[in-house]
Amino acid sequence: MVLASVVAATTPGWPDQLPLLPHPAELIVGVISFGILYWLYKTKVVPSLEKMYEERTAAIEGGISKAEEAQAQAQAALDQYNAQLQEARTEASTIREDAKAQGAAIVAELREKAQAEAGRITEAAQKTIEAERQAALVQLRGEVGRLSTDLASRIVGESLEDETRQKGIVERFLSELEAGEIKPERVDS
Amino acid sequence: MSPTVLSSLSTHLLSGALPAADGGGGTSFVSPGVSDFFWPLIGGDSNWAFTRPSAVLLISVGILGWFFIAATRKLTVVPGKRQFLVEQVYGFVRNTIAKDVIGTKDFQRFLPLLFTLFTMVLVNNLFGIIPLVQFPTMSRIAFPIVLTLVVYVVYHVVGLKAKGGVIPYIKSMVPPGLPGWVIPLMFVLELATYFVIRPVTLALRLFGNMFAGHLLLLVFIVGGEYLLLHGGNIGLGAAGIASGLFSIVMTFFELLVEFLQAFVFTILAALYLADAVSEEH
Amino acid sequence: MTGNIAFLGYGLAAIGPGIGVGLIFAAYINGVARQPESRGMLQTIAFTGFALTEALAILGLVFAFIFR
Repeated sequence: MVLASVVAATTPGWPDQLPLLPHPAELIVGVISFGILYWLYKTKVVPSLEKMYEERTAAIEGGISKAEEAQAQAQAALDQYNAQLQEARTEASTIREDAKAQGAAIVAELREKAQAEAGRITEAAQKTIEAERQAALVQLRGEVGRLSTDLASRIVGESLEDETRQKGIVERFLSELEAGEIKPERVDS
Repeated sequence: MSPTVLSSLSTHLLSGALPAADGGGGTSFVSPGVSDFFWPLIGGDSNWAFTRPSAVLLISVGILGWFFIAATRKLTVVPGKRQFLVEQVYGFVRNTIAKDVIGTKDFQRFLPLLFTLFTMVLVNNLFGIIPLVQFPTMSRIAFPIVLTLVVYVVYHVVGLKAKGGVIPYIKSMVPPGLPGWVIPLMFVLELATYFVIRPVTLALRLFGNMFAGHLLLLVFIVGGEYLLLHGGNIGLGAAGIASGLFSIVMTFFELLVEFLQAFVFTILAALYLADAVSEEH
Repeated sequence: MTGNIAFLGYGLAAIGPGIGVGLIFAAYINGVARQPESRGMLQTIAFTGFALTEALAILGLVFAFIFR
């Protein structure tokens, strides 16, 4: 085993050279290639990719805030809806109460009116009846007087045409009759 | 194995540098070795020859630059198919390697460097098994050395800046809280780690893995081909076929190793950078 | 049979780092399995240890090429 010499004069040429020795031309090409690629990445690729990452982060964050906003909007809408519903409920109940009260008032009014009407009708009827009774009474009195005088004059044969006597007798008889002093008697007893 | 590789190998076979074993067919088998890795296109056996790996590296830079610039010209928040691929690779380097290792505070300024390292190493490693190229560029030590030198210079410069001067930087290498008699020992050890072991292992790990992996594939394919064509009897021919089939398995293993090495190279670079920018230690 | 015994030496030299790397990643997997949230920190430590350990194997490779 011989330590391979690094001195160029004794080297066997590149094909059989120690593989750990860098080839100068390859070193240069390597440096140039790395430089080109690094420059391209540094100026173009990485900045645009980083920008895209930032935009994506912003988009995701924006999406989150948008979602939160939408949620808040939905919550607000729900609240509004609930409030409206509540309002509508109160309104409906108010209307119902009003209607009930109004109905009751109408019923009461109608009843009152009907009662008043009925009272009025009854009163009028009673008055008519009374009036008719009075008229009938008066008429009957006259009739009864005349008939009784007629009958009496026929029975007695005495003319009771005399105004004064007639009047006095009939009046007396009727008063007695009303007072119950005269009892009807059977004629044949 | 492309025909060009085979023809290149056959020239080595004819030149017969190392006769390893005598086959039955008459021609002697030359095991693939170091000489298979030097492959000049222009300039022959000189120090300034333009080699095929150099060409492959330049092609890889062209492909990478074109692909990433074209893919990142119009980026959208909701990714398309190509952007998704770009984002997978970039997100891997950005989040898994840079962010986790360096920390959220400092990682963004190192992203171009780490992304360059990762994509360059990955694509050039994958060239080891991509048909028609089939040569891992990084098995030429010059390229790992270049990448490592970049990392080496960057982490020293960043460390000097972060610690504010040479003396505090050297001091910061020794971990705090050690008993007095260990400090000189640790100091020498850490100095060796920072200035020698880290760069040497970073370059040699990549080189060694790619070199050995490619050599392994060469042995299985060239050896299998030799056994099949020049083996002389049916048993050796069958062994040649088995060797060829096994080389396919090894190709998939190489795929894993190539990806892993790109990952390890980048994460170690990130680790060294993280050490340099961190306040403690 | 001809060849270079240095590569046999490299094979022997790779045993130690092989075991070491195995131990490191076994511990790493254990740690992550127990506490998945500590993955990021453990990954850093594991790869530091891995780099240190593999350095030995790589030094072996270098010497295998140098002594030939």
